[in-house]
Amino acid sequence: MAEKIIVVKNVSKTFPKVVAVNNLSFEVEAQTCFGCLGPNGAGKSTMMKIIYGKCTRDENPLSQMSIFGYDPKDHELEIKSCSGVVPQDNNLDDELNLIQNLMIYSKFYHIPAKLAKERIAYLLDFLELSEKKNSRITELSGGMKRRLVIARALLNNPRLLILDEPTTGLDPQVRHLIWDKLRLLKKEGTTILLTTHYMEEAFQICDTVMIMHKGQRIIEGPPRDLLAKNIEKYVLELLDADALQDKFNESMQEQVRIDRSQQGTRLFSNNYDYLKTLAGAMESGNYYLRQTNLEDVFLKATGRGLNESQ
Amino acid sequence: MNHNNCPPLYWRLFSVWYRHMRVYTKNIFSNGLPPFLEPLLFLAGVGLGLGTYITQSMEGLSYLEFLGTGLLVTAAMFTAAFECSFGTFIRLEFDKVYDGMLASPLTVNNLIVGEIIWAGTKGLFFSFAVLCILAIFGVIHLPYSLLAPLVGFLTGTMFAVISLLITSFVRAINQLNFFFTGFISPMFFFSGVVFPTSNLPHYVQPIVEIVPLTHSVRLVRAVCANHYQMIHLWDLFYIVVFILVVGFFAVRRLRRRMVN
Repeated sequence: MAEKIIVVKNVSKTFPKVVAVNNLSFEVEAQTCFGCLGPNGAGKSTMMKIIYGKCTRDENPLSQMSIFGYDPKDHELEIKSCSGVVPQDNNLDDELNLIQNLMIYSKFYHIPAKLAKERIAYLLDFLELSEKKNSRITELSGGMKRRLVIARALLNNPRLLILDEPTTGLDPQVRHLIWDKLRLLKKEGTTILLTTHYMEEAFQICDTVMIMHKGQRIIEGPPRDLLAKNIEKYVLELLDADALQDKFNESMQEQVRIDRSQQGTRLFSNNYDYLKTLAGAMESGNYYLRQTNLEDVFLKATGRGLNESQ
Repeated sequence: MNHNNCPPLYWRLFSVWYRHMRVYTKNIFSNGLPPFLEPLLFLAGVGLGLGTYITQSMEGLSYLEFLGTGLLVTAAMFTAAFECSFGTFIRLEFDKVYDGMLASPLTVNNLIVGEIIWAGTKGLFFSFAVLCILAIFGVIHLPYSLLAPLVGFLTGTMFAVISLLITSFVRAINQLNFFFTGFISPMFFFSGVVFPTSNLPHYVQPIVEIVPLTHSVRLVRAVCANHYQMIHLWDLFYIVVFILVVGFFAVRRLRRRMVN
C-alpha cells in the first residue's frame, strides 16, 4: 500500500452559525491527486484550511488528523514547511513585480538567496511567465496571476500541493496549461489536493474524487467508478417535455429515470437505442442526447436547487 | 532541501519584517521623502511664525527646541499607528495578504510580532528623519540626541501594539477614524508635546500620566539633553510593560481573527 500523506478522521468544524465540516473522514495516498467537489458552502475550503492550520477543527477525542504524520493542531510549521498552498484569493503584492513577489516568499521558506533566484527562474519558466518577470502584478491577466500564485506555492519543492479552486474564472487555454503542469508535478512525486467546481477538471486530473455536501462526504471514488456506479450511461435532455407528454407512461418509467426541474427534463438510461427512438420523434432543436458525465453525478448527489449558502 | 527543518524563530520574524520593508521601500521616493518634509514644515511654521510670539521658555527649552524634541516621538507615533491600523486592516480584510503568508511556515504570532517590529523600525526611521532636520537647523545638539531614534523605536512599538489591539475590534475600516480623533490626536496635544503638561489642571494630571505618549516625550527630551532622573526609569518601565501587556492581548485577539 502506498504511503498515506493525509489521514483525516471524524473531523468537524462548527462556526457560530453553521456546521462547515461535519464528521468528515478521508485519506490521500502519496503521489495521487485528490479532488474535493461540492457546491459553495459545502465545506471544501474550510477542510483545506484545517489541513494547513489556518482553521482549527472542533475538539473531539475521536477526531484525528495526520499530514506527513503531523497533526496540524500542534505542528502547523512542519506541515507548512513541506506543503505549498494556492489559496482561493490571489493575494499577491500588487506594487511589486513577479520576481520580487516570489523573493519575499522564498524568505518565508528560508531559501538562500542564490538558490531562490535559480528556483524562481525555473518556476517562472515552468509556468510560462518568464517574459513577464519584471512586470508589475497590476499588468498581469487573471490567468497569469493564478499561475504566479501556483509558482509561489512551488517555491519550496512541496511534497503536498493544496489548491483551492485553482482554475476558477480562467480561460480554457490557461486551464489546460495548469492541468498539464499539475499532471507533471504528480509524475515527479507531488501529492495534490484540490477543490474545484469544474467536473471536467476533476475528471481530467484527479485519481480520486470526493463529493461533499453540507460538510459531509456524499460519495468518493475514482471519477470513472463514480460514473459507472452512480449514474446511467446516457441522458436525453429535453427543453420542452410537452412533445413527449403522451409517452410518459409506465413502460417508459421502466426504461428511464426521469429528472424534472425548472431548467428542463432529463431522461437517464443505460439503453441508448431507446433514448434515440424517443428523440427521433422530436424536433432536433428540442433535445440533446449525450453520455452522462461527472456533473450529472454531482447534481444527482447534491441536488439541483440552491441552498441558503450558495 | 531539508523539508522537516522549519525556519528558526528569528528567521521567521525577520522574513515578515523583510516583507514589509520590501513593500515600503518599493516606492522609496513617495514613502521616504515626506518624513523629512513634515518636520521641515513644522519648523518653518513655528520658527518663522508662531515661535516669535512665544518668548517664554518651556521646561528650560526654547519653544523651537521644546516642540522639535516632541516631534521626534510624535512622528514615530503617527507612522506606527497608521501602519498597524489602516495598514493592518487593509492587509487583513481587503488585500488578504495574511492569508497567503499564513500558508507559508509562519505562525500567526510570528506574523504579528514581525509586524510590530516593523512598525517599531518605521518609528525609528521617522524619528531619525526628524532628527536630521533638527540637527541641520541646529535646533538640537549632537551627539547625545543621536540616541533619540531608539526612543522612536520604542514609541513606534508601543503605538503598534495599541493600534493592533484596536484594529482587532474593528469591523469596518471607517471605525478607525474614532481611534485617530479620539485617541491619537488628543495625545498629540495633551502629552507635553506642544506645551508642558504641568500647566494642565491638577485633576487632569493622572490621565496625562496614564497615556503612553507622555512617557515617550519625557524620555526623548532626557535623551536629547543627556540629563536623566529617576522618573525616566519609570517612563522606560512603563513603555516596556505597556508593549508586553497590550502586545499580548493584541496578538491574542488578532490570532482569533486570523485563525478561526
